[in-house]
Amino acid sequence: MTLLADKDERFKNLFGKAALFVLLAAIGIAATLLWTGIKKGAFAAKSPIYFVADSGQGLSEGMPVKYSGFKIGKLNTLTLDEQGQVKVEVGVDSKYLKLLREDSVMSLIKEGVIGDGVLELSRGTESKSVLAAGAVVRFERANGLEQAVIEVKNRILPILDDLHQTLHDPQSDVRQTLKNLRELSSELKGTRERVDHLLGSVDTNLNSEVGPLLRSLRVSASNAETLSTKLDHDLPVLLKKADDNLENLRLTTQSVKDAVQKSAPQLPGMLGEARDTIDKTREVVENTKEMYESLSTHWPLKDSAPPAETTPIKMDSHD
Amino acid sequence: MIKIILLLLAGILASCGSTPAPRLPPTLEQAQEIDKEARRALRSGDLFRAQHEFTKTLQLRQSIDDSEGVATTIINLATVTHQMHDDEGALNWLNKITLEIPSVYPAALRMDASFRKAVILINLERLPEAESSLADAEKLCDKKCSLHFGLEGLHARLLLLKGDTQSALELALTVSKEAEINKEELANALRTIAAAEEKLARYTEALLHYQSALELDKTLSLSGRIGEDLAGLARVAKQLGRAQESSAYLKRAELVNNALRQSSGP
Repeated sequence: MTLLADKDERFKNLFGKAALFVLLAAIGIAATLLWTGIKKGAFAAKSPIYFVADSGQGLSEGMPVKYSGFKIGKLNTLTLDEQGQVKVEVGVDSKYLKLLREDSVMSLIKEGVIGDGVLELSRGTESKSVLAAGAVVRFERANGLEQAVIEVKNRILPILDDLHQTLHDPQSDVRQTLKNLRELSSELKGTRERVDHLLGSVDTNLNSEVGPLLRSLRVSASNAETLSTKLDHDLPVLLKKADDNLENLRLTTQSVKDAVQKSAPQLPGMLGEARDTIDKTREVVENTKEMYESLSTHWPLKDSAPPAETTPIKMDSHD
Repeated sequence: MIKIILLLLAGILASCGSTPAPRLPPTLEQAQEIDKEARRALRSGDLFRAQHEFTKTLQLRQSIDDSEGVATTIINLATVTHQMHDDEGALNWLNKITLEIPSVYPAALRMDASFRKAVILINLERLPEAESSLADAEKLCDKKCSLHFGLEGLHARLLLLKGDTQSALELALTVSKEAEINKEELANALRTIAAAEEKLARYTEALLHYQSALELDKTLSLSGRIGEDLAGLARVAKQLGRAQESSAYLKRAELVNNALRQSSGP
């Protein structure tokens, strides 16, 4: 029996509609989970690989296993065996097993200097057979920052010990050097005292000798002043005489200039004549030379002109 | 008066029919001028200046590819160098011609260079090399070449030095009888004859030939040769037992040689 009359058409088959909505939601949630699982590799086939470590330090469950920087699996379990060693099982995606060889090595490395630790699988030798599921691989820890610090510490500590021993040995070079420095320092102190004494005596000498010298200089300056006064008096007279001489020189120069100006119009003519004379002389010489050269090739001068010798200078069989 | 006018007319006619002497290239003219200077220096005995001037001439002639002039100047330089007693230097100069490919320099000058090389090598008593050079010169000379008598005279000297005295004597005698032989080579031939006869112990003939050579050398004013002749005369006179005569010749030879040494300087 129906308590309320279901008169609104929208409420018809309300149960069916709600059931359908819930079912669709459930299907959606399941599909999302399935898709996420597939993406996360939850459904991918895994193959177990084992290795034995001397301690579980730095290892933890869920730690990723990488190959060439790609995640190919994760650490599944860590168990302590009867010998006290840690047996570790990692799950590797089966499809990646074919990339690995039986001599692959599992290394615990840090991502960056202070990053998380990851397990890195190396490929192994190419000629070896493919790594099988359930195989045991070798494990090693890569040198991280801690290891480097330990190595540095191991190297520095002996050096510090040696240094300590050297500094405390009375016969060591360092101690001897320090001793010598100390002695030198004390000697320098004595030297400084002597230098102070010397400077004091220099000061005394300066006071006793430089004083008279300064007095002498003062007298000289006084003499110079007297001389300067005398020059002030005499110099105008001398300058006047020099002026007179210069005036005479100027008048003489003017006279010479006038004379030159008067004769100047005649000079070009004289020079022209001289040049003409030289040119004519040169022409006469050239003509004479040409005439001689011309005549020397003809009778009667031909025979008198010495011919140029073109043969080698003489040398006979007994030279 | 008529004769003078005719003479002037003849001169004018000769001038009208002539052309001015062609001018040579300036470099060649300059080379000839310097060459003249060098020969003048050589005649005055200034060997260093002669060598310097000939070197300048050589550079000028080389610059205009005047191969004949270059060869002549090289021979002149070699001769001056030889006169300065640097025989190796002289041979080096002559090698520039004799070791060059034949087409570069005229045959006459190559023959002259080989002849002078042979003379120097014989003086140095490098006989095999001298023989080779002399053969080269003889190959280039026909019977009428200018060096014909010099080559034969030199050949006679070479034979004498090689010990073939008889052949040397015969060749030198043949050369000395040539009608066209010049005075220098005649004197040389006579000296070779005398030396060969001295070796063959024919001292009387040797004395005569040395005397003939001496007379010729005196006319040529060749002091070195005069000294050689006098020394030969001294040796031969001594062999003939004329000690006083030999001593006189020897003294004269020493005087001539001393004067020669003094004139050639330190």
